[in-house]
Amino acid sequence: MHFPWLSAAILFPIAAALLIPLVPDDGDGRKVRWYALGVALLTFLITVGGYLNGYDPAIEGLQLAERYTWLPDLGLAWSVGADGLSMPLILLTSFITALAALAAWPVSFKPKLFFFLLLAMDGGQIAVFAVQDMMLFFLAWELELVPVYLLLAIWGAKKRQYAATKFILYTAGGSVFILLAALAMGFYGGGAPTFEFSELMAKDFPQKFQLLCYAGLLIAFGVKLPIVPLHTWLPDAHGEATAPVHMLLAGILLKMGGYALLRFNVQLLPAAHVQFAPLLVVLGVVNIIYAALTSFAQRNLKRKIAYSSISHMGFVLIGIGSFSALGTSGAMLQMVSHGLIGASLFFLVGATYDRTHTLQLDEMGGVGQKMRKMFALWTVCSLASLALPGMSGFVSELMVFVGFATSETYSLSFRIVISILAAVGVILTPIYLLSMLREIFFGKENPELVSHTHLVDAEPREIYVISCLLVPIIGIGLYPRLVTDTYRVSIEALVQREANALAQLSHVPGKVVMRSQSPGLWPAVLQPFSPLKAPSLS
Amino acid sequence: MPSASELAWLIPVLPLMGACLSGLGLIAFNRTVNRLRKPVAVLLITCVGAAAVLSYALLAEQLAGAAPIEMLFNWASAGSFNLQMGFRVDALGAVMLALVTTIALLVMVYSDGYMAHDKGYVRFFTYLALFSSSMLGLIISPNLLEIYVFWELVGMCSYLLVGFWYDRDGAANAAQKAFVVNRVGDFGLLLGMLGLFWATGSFGFETIGSRLQEAVAGGSLSNGVAILLCLLVFMGPMAKSAQFPLHVWLPDAMEGPTPISALIHAATMVAAGVFLVARLQPVYAPFPQVQVVIAVVGTITLVLGASIALTQQDLKKGLAYSTVSQLGYMMLAMGCGAPVAGMFHLVTHAFFKAMLFLGSGSVIHAMEEVVGHEPVLAQDMRLMGGLRQFMPITAITFLIGCIAISGIPPLAGFWSKDEILGQAFNSFPVLWAAGLITAGMTSFYMFRLYFLTFEGSFRGNDTALQAQLLAAAGKSGGEAQDQGHGHSDADHPHESGWQMAMPLVVLAVPTVLIGLLGTPWNSRFARLLDPREAAHMAEHFSWPEFLPLAGASVAISVAGITLAVLAYLLHRLDLGKLVAGRFPALNAFLANKWYLDAINDKLFVQGSRKLAKQVLDVDSKVVDGVVNLTGLLTLGSGEGLKYFETGRAQFYALIVFGGVVALVVLFGVFG
Repeated sequence: MHFPWLSAAILFPIAAALLIPLVPDDGDGRKVRWYALGVALLTFLITVGGYLNGYDPAIEGLQLAERYTWLPDLGLAWSVGADGLSMPLILLTSFITALAALAAWPVSFKPKLFFFLLLAMDGGQIAVFAVQDMMLFFLAWELELVPVYLLLAIWGAKKRQYAATKFILYTAGGSVFILLAALAMGFYGGGAPTFEFSELMAKDFPQKFQLLCYAGLLIAFGVKLPIVPLHTWLPDAHGEATAPVHMLLAGILLKMGGYALLRFNVQLLPAAHVQFAPLLVVLGVVNIIYAALTSFAQRNLKRKIAYSSISHMGFVLIGIGSFSALGTSGAMLQMVSHGLIGASLFFLVGATYDRTHTLQLDEMGGVGQKMRKMFALWTVCSLASLALPGMSGFVSELMVFVGFATSETYSLSFRIVISILAAVGVILTPIYLLSMLREIFFGKENPELVSHTHLVDAEPREIYVISCLLVPIIGIGLYPRLVTDTYRVSIEALVQREANALAQLSHVPGKVVMRSQSPGLWPAVLQPFSPLKAPSLS
Repeated sequence: MPSASELAWLIPVLPLMGACLSGLGLIAFNRTVNRLRKPVAVLLITCVGAAAVLSYALLAEQLAGAAPIEMLFNWASAGSFNLQMGFRVDALGAVMLALVTTIALLVMVYSDGYMAHDKGYVRFFTYLALFSSSMLGLIISPNLLEIYVFWELVGMCSYLLVGFWYDRDGAANAAQKAFVVNRVGDFGLLLGMLGLFWATGSFGFETIGSRLQEAVAGGSLSNGVAILLCLLVFMGPMAKSAQFPLHVWLPDAMEGPTPISALIHAATMVAAGVFLVARLQPVYAPFPQVQVVIAVVGTITLVLGASIALTQQDLKKGLAYSTVSQLGYMMLAMGCGAPVAGMFHLVTHAFFKAMLFLGSGSVIHAMEEVVGHEPVLAQDMRLMGGLRQFMPITAITFLIGCIAISGIPPLAGFWSKDEILGQAFNSFPVLWAAGLITAGMTSFYMFRLYFLTFEGSFRGNDTALQAQLLAAAGKSGGEAQDQGHGHSDADHPHESGWQMAMPLVVLAVPTVLIGLLGTPWNSRFARLLDPREAAHMAEHFSWPEFLPLAGASVAISVAGITLAVLAYLLHRLDLGKLVAGRFPALNAFLANKWYLDAINDKLFVQGSRKLAKQVLDVDSKVVDGVVNLTGLLTLGSGEGLKYFETGRAQFYALIVFGGVVALVVLFGVFG
């Protein structure tokens, strides 16, 4: 029996959070924040320890697994483990949370409660990525909502009540589908109910059942990712949240959607995924273009970045739907990459707001003359976000592009149309990000702003936080295999499952006989699937 | 002892390390590092210098006949896919490496003088080193993918450097425009690259070339698709090398400091497009239709650039349009299937255009003493004149540059331009005619620049004209005075210091001599790049063929110069009355840069803004509206909600939390 790394990573921050009331309080939260930072760092070290000691990237299956029976009658068990899909995100979670604790330094309103929630969220989110039981997953998913809700509702800006309520209604509404799907899948086939992923994977669900479950789960996870048009909670939540909460929302929370899509929709329901994948790809493109345009028109800085997150998540969708190892791998990398880049941008938004006291671009201008370091940090992070080579965003988007463009499963015309539309995002992203930089930092100083506020340059703590995020961003950009190698085998196995499902689809007698005919959902005109295996146009 | 070729990866890495060091220093210890001007400059110049030494060693090896080498490693992989990175050294790369490091080094020395009074001195040098590193990386890239990586990075450096004076609105807009227009080109490059990878399974130039041909020959790929992919890739070079209609960013990019205009926007980065087309020759060569498109785009560009340059009043803008035009010549050569000729013009042009730009920088620097730090005044030729008496070195080198670019033998421009025109004459006579006429325009506008700037009498103290120019630019006099930093005390300009004069003199040497390496009967340049082509050229060279063509181009250049002499030196001709007065439409057409900026603004800038605004409206009113309506309908009727909305958040959370706990308990008890 090895050391229970994952259970420790989940329970330690939660237990430590429960001890916060005992931390001697001097009113301004000075001790609490050091305590929270220490706990978050230790949690990060625990996850790193688990990664180094118990995780072998060359192994496809579940590792660091622990299983304790909890409610045997219901088939409920405390079952955690990590494979390639979860390990990078577990590390990302504990890493971003530690930085968020550092970012939360200036929080002076109810610091104890704030850091309590932060740490509780840490454990909850690691649990979401680590649990191997669908009921447990549902619980973790729901539990993690509470801290987010409170962090929004108590520390938010003016419209915080509205934003928090919207967030909880959206997500809770989506969660209903998770519960339904979990129960359906758990009880399917008679016998003792089971919610363990490995056992669910072994079950052979019929096509219609899979489609139904898939649709429900897609709504639930689509809210989280988010997928347009289920996204409207996000700009509101982001518009009201404080910087550290932002970092967690953009850095981790959105990734839960992408992770869950891979884990449940693709892994457990491959037959349905084969039918839904073209839809995912189309939704991905919609995400990219729609959100990029809205971001461009936004005049509020936070909302602008929030929409840019939505736009970037479009690549995750395309990657997941790409039926290629490279594309799926790119989707995974995009999640990690956006986790880092999104967190850094939102941290900078918060730091800027602390100085300018406004988020309206019209009320800024020429800020770069007084805040040069801040300007530099903003520039680097914006360039990372617009997928500049040498940084992680470029690699992940490139992998999605190449993976999708070479995916033989789709017909050529479908691939051409999607690639061209997705590449439009390549033009739109710099337009809104560079316009934003220009309006904040370039040009003459805005006399009104300068007269009202005291613009001090970035302090060492802020530079440190951004540097911590930039090291992996640039590291991945220079040598992506640093990350991709940790999940490569799992993704390949996943794509193999997709391929098997595809093959099965084309062999079911009386149903769709050839891949040349569009399977089920798709009218023959659109026909996303390729008629031939080899590329051919003539 | 490893050969220089094996150490080629150090060439981009050395400046990068220097840039990282000073960049991190700037972020971490801003004040201290900003004070360490000379040490930082020396460090970075040493880095680039070391890269230059290595580059020349490499060039020597290639001259001695070393075989090209390529080293690769797996950069990203998934499934059966491997994306490879690495470096490659061959003759073409070696020439470019030597060229870029030389000019980068000279520009850095020059910048020490030019930026001496600037607050951002250290930042400027850091960007310069970063740019050098990216540009050198681009040159040694072994495949399209890696080219794309560095392609974007040089674009980023260009963005940073054009926007260097970020308190100026003009610089801010120009930087963004440069980046976005280049992204439009990259859009095509990316798609074309993906398509070629789909069709051939490779990013390597030769592999793509051979497999694409096989695929077309074997019938698995139609000719049309192959051509389309080639043209998509060509969009990248079109944007980077400022080819019509994606040239619009380059003249605006002159908002950056002048050393940058010389290095990035004249000699190196803008030539990267031409370089990439040369690299892609194995891909493009089998498709004559692609070649025709390249040649036609090049020709349109060369005519456009020269015609707009005719009417420019801003010294740097005049040179910028001249660069556009010269890049058109290079592209024309590529389209004629003569990459060697195009590359040769790239090299000669890099030297003389860098010198011309640095010369213009020297002029602007000197003018700032008189009119203050206001680009509207310091760069306008209406305020210059007679500068030769004050700054002889600048004037003489500028004159040499003008002669070279006009194509007067035996200076560099003659040999390279003549070779392109010769190739065009054989491939596309119509395009040759356009190129020939443009050669006349070139010598006219270059000598116009020279005479207006350096001859006649100095007009810089004409305050009425100054006020008029400022008003035309929409700036008040007071504002300009603020920017003047009380600098405008001298009543006439002075020659620049040695740091600025030395690079001019050094660059004058290749401007005069380097053309002799590429004489058509014994082209050492061609022998290095393509020995077979060189032998072919030498074999087929005949004076009776060469002399009429060369004679024609020299004659038309001389005609252009004569016209400029008559109009701007002797003032015998008033072109304003003669041409502009008689053909106001033509004059307006040229002065408004063929109206392309206006069209861009209307169509794309305003259009995209409007579209974005509409999408946002849909998002906030329709999509979000439905959500809010649903929320209202389902929950709004309940009295409880009132309590939630006004009540304490904790209470609501408690309910949610309680609900979850209850759920767990429920399962526990009833399970």
